[in-house]
Amino acid sequence: MSVGGSGEAHAAIPQSKLIAFGIIGGLVGIYGAHFLGNIAGGVFSFMGALGAICAAIWGAGAVRRVASYGLGTGVPSIGMLALGMGVVAAMFGLAIGKGFEIAIIGPVIALVVASIIGLLIGIFANKVLKMNIPVMEQSMTEIAAAGTILIIGLSVAMTGSLMFNVVLEEVITTGYIAVIFIAGGMALLHPFNANLGADEKQDRTLYTALEKGSIAMILSGIVALSTQGASVGVVTILIGIFLWYFGFTGFYARVKRDAFKVVGTGLLPSEEELE
Amino acid sequence: MIDIAGLLADNIMYMLLITLGGVLVSVSVHFVPVGGAPAAMAQATGIGTGTVQLAAGAGLTGLVTAGAMMGVTDNIGLVLASGAVGAMIMISVTMLVGQWVYIYGVGCPPASAKVKYDPITKDRQDLYVSQGTEGHAIPTVSFISGVIGAGLGGLGGGLVYYALLMMGEVAAGLTVKDIMSTTGHELVGLASIFAVGIFFMNAVIPSYNIGGTIEGFHDPKFKRWPRAALTSFIVTLLCAVLAVITLGGM
Repeated sequence: MSVGGSGEAHAAIPQSKLIAFGIIGGLVGIYGAHFLGNIAGGVFSFMGALGAICAAIWGAGAVRRVASYGLGTGVPSIGMLALGMGVVAAMFGLAIGKGFEIAIIGPVIALVVASIIGLLIGIFANKVLKMNIPVMEQSMTEIAAAGTILIIGLSVAMTGSLMFNVVLEEVITTGYIAVIFIAGGMALLHPFNANLGADEKQDRTLYTALEKGSIAMILSGIVALSTQGASVGVVTILIGIFLWYFGFTGFYARVKRDAFKVVGTGLLPSEEELE
Repeated sequence: MIDIAGLLADNIMYMLLITLGGVLVSVSVHFVPVGGAPAAMAQATGIGTGTVQLAAGAGLTGLVTAGAMMGVTDNIGLVLASGAVGAMIMISVTMLVGQWVYIYGVGCPPASAKVKYDPITKDRQDLYVSQGTEGHAIPTVSFISGVIGAGLGGLGGGLVYYALLMMGEVAAGLTVKDIMSTTGHELVGLASIFAVGIFFMNAVIPSYNIGGTIEGFHDPKFKRWPRAALTSFIVTLLCAVLAVITLGGM
């Protein structure tokens, strides 16, 4: 259970497994989309979005862990902070990849830089702002890194490439980065924000993260329709819809499990029935 | 290859401007009467939403107005003034409409629970605070504090954006005015998203510092601002280094 301000949240899946899942899944997805980009006209770019979903689940787990101590302000703030750190680190990583003419080091550099920014904010939050949350340093590092993988993953799903020039031209200049910013931030902050309370369970929160990540995937598919062509976009959208359905039914099954009772209220009574 | 040391040495002035802008945003949030969820139920003084939403609303308006001015002139003073005024208008409208809702909708008088007399109008406050609440609506002092805060925030946001574009200007070989008037120039997008990222970080740091709610400069929590400023200084400086390498190496 986890109420805001109640201390360490109970976790069925240890955070270390979520970290491994997020980093490995995220990088495999991003690199898979990049290297398989030339095969079959780039239909494999959906793998970038799968990597982003892995990062979203990891990030939502980290948000849950830190926010259950009570941040003093709304949970959404931490999602926006994550994407703020993430976007700076992601652009830096990809630009370094271009500058040194080895595009594939971009995501790894971005991940390292995001972790440094996150760790710095975590240390300052505890030592200077006196928030006194024991897991602050670790969680901030994780959240920043997850935000970075989310941004790169969704960008790769939209463009099918890790090249800074391509991402700059097709994601940043067109303004689709704003979609990534909000949809990705939502996938990080919304799961715990929606589920927090006395009956919060880790698996229900993580299923919400999967569902929100899938919505971001569908959106990136819609963008891919115009940037990469109809076949690529449709594949991403269809896989996204399937994952959304899986995530939503999983979430709803856990709502029914955790709730005392789920009853239908029926339609609103008509005027005659009220009299 | 990128000459990292050379880039940093060339752009040290802009890095400092970005850092200054980030610190200004961080300090500005302490002026804005953020009420959070309690204020949304008229149980605390301030605007009924979180820091990030308010800072984003006002600050991003500031970025837009600063950007619009950049397309017309290269004068940094006019650009920053435009950013500050845009953010001030945005927050004033938000507070004014919120005030209508509190007064005519909820039916409560604006009152602060943190001070006995309003420091500006000298009106008595404690008599009007409903029992069990921490004040309600937006008293004059909070309104004025909010306008000052938005001005500083817009100034800071505009400064970050301007410095980012000036750095890219060297790399692209164009003036800021030319870049802004070219439709779809990639530098504009990159500088904007960097400015937004830096802005969000510096809006969240003070919100953790004040614990989610503050009434304005008369609130005792306002004295905590140096802590947020120090945190923002270090974090923004790091981001400025990253920004120089990203934009300068384009």
